[in-house]
Amino acid sequence: MTRYLFGQVFSLVLTLWVVLTLVFLAVRALPGDAATIMGGIDSSAASIAEMRQALGLAATLGEQYIGFLGDLVKGDMGDSIRERRPVSAVLLDRVPVTLTLAAMAFVISLVFGLGLGLLAGLRPGGFFDKLTTGFATVALSLPEFWFGFILILVFAVQLGWFPVLGLPPTGLSLRSSWHLLLPAVTLAIPRAAQLARLGRARVLEERSSDYVRTARSKGLSAGSVGRHIASNALPGVVPLLALELGGLLTGTIVVEQVFGLPGLGATLLGGISARDYPVVQGVTILAVAIYVGVNWLADVTQLVADPRLRAPT
Amino acid sequence: MTRTRVGLVLFAAMVLATIFAGPLGRYDPLKPDYTARYAPVSAAHPLGTDGLGRDVFARSLAGGRVSLVVALSATALTMLLGCSLGVLAAGVGGATDTVLARFFDALLAFPGFLLILLAVAVLGGGSAQTVMAMGIAGSPLYFRLARSFARSELRSEYVTAARALGASHSRQMLRHAVPNFAGSLLVQGASTAAAFLLVEASLSYLGLGVPLPTPSWGNVLQDARSFLTRQPWAAVGPGLFLAAASLSFQFISDGLREHLDRRG
Repeated sequence: MTRYLFGQVFSLVLTLWVVLTLVFLAVRALPGDAATIMGGIDSSAASIAEMRQALGLAATLGEQYIGFLGDLVKGDMGDSIRERRPVSAVLLDRVPVTLTLAAMAFVISLVFGLGLGLLAGLRPGGFFDKLTTGFATVALSLPEFWFGFILILVFAVQLGWFPVLGLPPTGLSLRSSWHLLLPAVTLAIPRAAQLARLGRARVLEERSSDYVRTARSKGLSAGSVGRHIASNALPGVVPLLALELGGLLTGTIVVEQVFGLPGLGATLLGGISARDYPVVQGVTILAVAIYVGVNWLADVTQLVADPRLRAPT
Repeated sequence: MTRTRVGLVLFAAMVLATIFAGPLGRYDPLKPDYTARYAPVSAAHPLGTDGLGRDVFARSLAGGRVSLVVALSATALTMLLGCSLGVLAAGVGGATDTVLARFFDALLAFPGFLLILLAVAVLGGGSAQTVMAMGIAGSPLYFRLARSFARSELRSEYVTAARALGASHSRQMLRHAVPNFAGSLLVQGASTAAAFLLVEASLSYLGLGVPLPTPSWGNVLQDARSFLTRQPWAAVGPGLFLAAASLSFQFISDGLREHLDRRG
């Protein structure tokens, strides 16, 4: 198992390097650069060249690449061109909103998704099964931001329980975190649907296995049979959970836009339109690192949770 | 089979409606009418009008045509790209296989939507660019599927038999192996089309997909966000069209899968 994990870490590093290179190249392939954008259409070629020099964009691609990788190894993601301060400081400002949002969405989708999935699977054809199937069908055939519209219309406009837009001027705090509830539910809807679907399928699979029949025939209560089923069915959900958790960070891009939240998504979009290379690189690297890291953790979790997978192959 | 039928009927209805909305419709989806700004829902305007007085129903149907074309062409591109390279990697093997597999693995390390977003930004918005971006970002899945299907089919007895009878490499692959897994890829393709409809909507919502004034479901919804409290139906309506289209793809995919399972 140790060797397997080391192999995983090695291929992880290799993948990350290819990803970093792709990100570096992609960002520089954006049409125009920060100097042309900041200069505007009226500026002369000379003043743009001067600005490019000042912004450090005049170096060759190779020099920039070596500088980029070198700084990154030292944990330095460069300075934001637009905000003129380290990218890490920019990210640190924006991460709390996105992370809180993602965490809330994750908990909501976990509780509702797995709960519905288990209830549906334990009683095929019953009320919860129909509810789950219907919910999943609708939730997965619309873009998540559309549910945001509906939530705003119902809970912010009609009922007036939540603000229509964003955070209060004081920013994110314990008291204002409930402002994030509608966006978090929006993000959670399609993810809960996927979890519910998979959870249901896994439970149905386990229900028809021999050990469940044995447990039933020796007279175990429905509750303890359910517990047996759950503990066998749940490890199979972990990879999807990881994909979902990693995907939450990009899901927030659109949802932040709908609710006007100052998070990582807004930073990324702003960075792209201003050709702020270091910021786009920083957000992307952070998102990919979390995505890859979470998926790797999921592999490990699955090995821990399901002893059958540990057998040498 | 009924599911497939429902899916096909729904899909045909969407296609016909979006095609004939232009010539038969009462309103031009692009022409502003400043005397009818924010008209309420009525028989004349089933979904009301937007801030420029354009009929939202007409815009939803016209947008549907663009969205469907974008999603379907992106699906075709992504399958073509992923499957052909996957089959190539499995057939040729060696260094080609390793390099291709490594490259697609790296693409898979990106969260899907982020990859599409970066690709669209690099290619510089527009409908064709959106198709290309989604085509590239979706291809790793098809590369993996096609490669693993092709590898396992190549080891099967009927391909060995074909080889023994003197079939060339490409004939073993294209005439014998590929037809045996093409169906499974098609099932996946229908659900990718459903997903791409949602992706197009999200991209255009961010202003990175289909550029205005051309309507698409995404940018009609983006527009609707700015007067959401005033004209809720302008946001709800296009969403329902979008849901119907993506449901139809999902039904077709489910139906095809059942059909293959029964046969298999």
